[in-house]
Amino acid sequence: MKLLWAVSALLLSCWRANASTAPKILTDPSEVLNQTSAVLSCNLTETTLPIKGTYWTHNGKVLEDSKSTEATAYTSLRLEKITHSSGGKYECVFLTEPQVKETIEVKTLPHVAAYKHSEHGNEKDKAMMVCVSHGYPLPTDWFWFKLEDDSQQPIINGTSDKYEIKSTPNKTTLTINDLSIQNDIGYYVCSGINEIGKNSDQIHLRVRSRLAALWPFLGIVAEVIILVTIIFIYEKRRKPDEVTDGSAPLKSNSTANHKDKNVRQRNSN
Amino acid sequence: MTNLKAKSESRDDDDDDDDEAEGPDGGWGWVLVVALFISTSLVFGLMRSLGIFFVEFVQYFQESAQAISWISSTGLAAQQFFSPLGAALCNAFNARVVVMMGGFLAGLGLILASQATCLVHLYLTMGVISGLGWGLVFTPMVATVMANFTRRRTLALGLGFSSIGLSSFAFNPLFQLLVEMYAWRGALLILGGLSLNIVPCGALIRPQQRVKPPAQVDSESKSSSCGDVLRRVSSYLELSLLFERPYITYTLAVTLFNVGYFVPYFHLVAHSRQAGFSEYQAAFVMSAAGAADILGRVVSGWFSGLGHFRLIHLLSLWTGLAGLFIMLLPVSSLSGSYTALMAISLLYGFCSGALTSLVFAVVPMIVGVERMMGGLGLLQLIESGAGLLGTPLSGLLKDITGSYLASFMVAGSFVILGTLTMTTLPHYFSCTDPPHPQRRSLHDKDKGLHPELEQMNHKTAE
Repeated sequence: MKLLWAVSALLLSCWRANASTAPKILTDPSEVLNQTSAVLSCNLTETTLPIKGTYWTHNGKVLEDSKSTEATAYTSLRLEKITHSSGGKYECVFLTEPQVKETIEVKTLPHVAAYKHSEHGNEKDKAMMVCVSHGYPLPTDWFWFKLEDDSQQPIINGTSDKYEIKSTPNKTTLTINDLSIQNDIGYYVCSGINEIGKNSDQIHLRVRSRLAALWPFLGIVAEVIILVTIIFIYEKRRKPDEVTDGSAPLKSNSTANHKDKNVRQRNSN
Repeated sequence: MTNLKAKSESRDDDDDDDDEAEGPDGGWGWVLVVALFISTSLVFGLMRSLGIFFVEFVQYFQESAQAISWISSTGLAAQQFFSPLGAALCNAFNARVVVMMGGFLAGLGLILASQATCLVHLYLTMGVISGLGWGLVFTPMVATVMANFTRRRTLALGLGFSSIGLSSFAFNPLFQLLVEMYAWRGALLILGGLSLNIVPCGALIRPQQRVKPPAQVDSESKSSSCGDVLRRVSSYLELSLLFERPYITYTLAVTLFNVGYFVPYFHLVAHSRQAGFSEYQAAFVMSAAGAADILGRVVSGWFSGLGHFRLIHLLSLWTGLAGLFIMLLPVSSLSGSYTALMAISLLYGFCSGALTSLVFAVVPMIVGVERMMGGLGLLQLIESGAGLLGTPLSGLLKDITGSYLASFMVAGSFVILGTLTMTTLPHYFSCTDPPHPQRRSLHDKDKGLHPELEQMNHKTAE
């Protein structure tokens, strides 16, 4: 029994010793949730290692302005205006041997934007509407709705062949097959949800009849045919003899008299 | 009526003893310039504005931008590759039929493209079929217009080619509107219809305006032996030109131009952005250069028609200046001065437009009017390689060095190298034009006479 106590006390003290010599970074705040501005700070404690400097990184990219060569155990980074692009993982790095760092996550609402706010498709063809998201964290879920009479009708993936939703964290695509002019014209809403909240954007879908482009096309083809006919008729009517010039032997004798003036005199007489 | 024609022909013949025999300088030729204007805008203006569709294709077919951009590369390559074919068919048959056929194919390709269900369909229709159609249209139209003018040749070409710049301005917003209203399928269908307008342009070519006499066909021996057919085909394609030093020198020079002179159009905007100018400023520089390009085409066409200087000297002047300004472009934008960038871009635009009017007009002076058709076709084919080389090379240089300075310098130096190559042409340093080379016919004793004169000589000899 006493031996057991002694061994466990030894192990505990070893573990405590290890813990006490490892440097610890206290972060304040531990994470930023949906704030408009924040001050991130790191406090390096429980270490006697010399500090050559500090810097911050944002999503792995070093922030040049944050580099400091002061041997201080406290460093802070001020974020004036937090938008979706300034969200992400911030790391404070202390230049000790070895380096120690800690991460503070800055989370914002997802920024949801449609590639194109106005989409168009052909009847009986398919149309694809795309929404993308930037920011941190990326949406975990995407939802699509169709606006009908001011209420949002959810579109469920897989219920019919008509709708297909493909989603990845930063992009979602709604494909509507077999477009119909009666039913499918209108506004569609894509909505992305992450742990902070949700955001959405709207796309207007227009469906054109398949034959819509056919009428201008037929008009242009008719114009081309008319022009060609006019040109040929004009040519035949205007100079019927010039068309056969060069091929009728009799005519060429009297017309093409270039250098031989004697021949010309003879023919005209 | 026929006497008047005889008088005009004799007057022309007295003026240009060493020139090609047929030399009307106006009249129906101007109608053909209008036809050239329309068909060139529907070929090159259309090709340059296809970028509007690429955004749609990337989204619809879910393919990478590079795969989509192969469509226009295939179209351009097909146009240049099939140019000798177009020239050969014109020599064998009739320019009118060839151009009408080409217009029909170009329209057909776009119409079929509107029904495409996968990317390969687009390569085959918009790329190959339309490219084939464009190839059959461009070279014959240019050659026919050149055959219809003597002194005002460059002005005619300048006016005809100014359509490229103007139509790029007009087509970009037009295509955007068509895509918005009719979706890309409908827009392509309508574009196919628009391309069919090349057919009436081809119909305007009078059938008797043949550039060269029918190929030497021994009417007695109608044998279709292999050697005979090969000889005929090679005479249609003017393959013998490949063995002549002046032609090879000129083609090499034009190829070198092509490597470099497009580069600013691709990279100027990105380079301006990199130098710190805003998007609108950079885009405005491009538009200004485009406008200067149109002006340059017309002005240089008119000026070289005045006849004060030899065409080849003027061409060297414009290409040398263009190369110089390409090299100066990065310097002006790096110095941060917007006015300097704008000024150099305007000058570059003017010079590059000026040289396009002259490039084709010099060909008949080197190879003669009769072989001009085949000469143009082969020139297009050979210079296509340069186009394939130039832009990727400059992109590569930019990737390696990180800035556009190196790619502009290299592009400018290629253009200047082309100018230097041109100086090795025979009779370059003489002040007057050398006599036009006449075709050495295989079995006619009288060399290089007008076909009607040949016929007349035959008749009087009988």
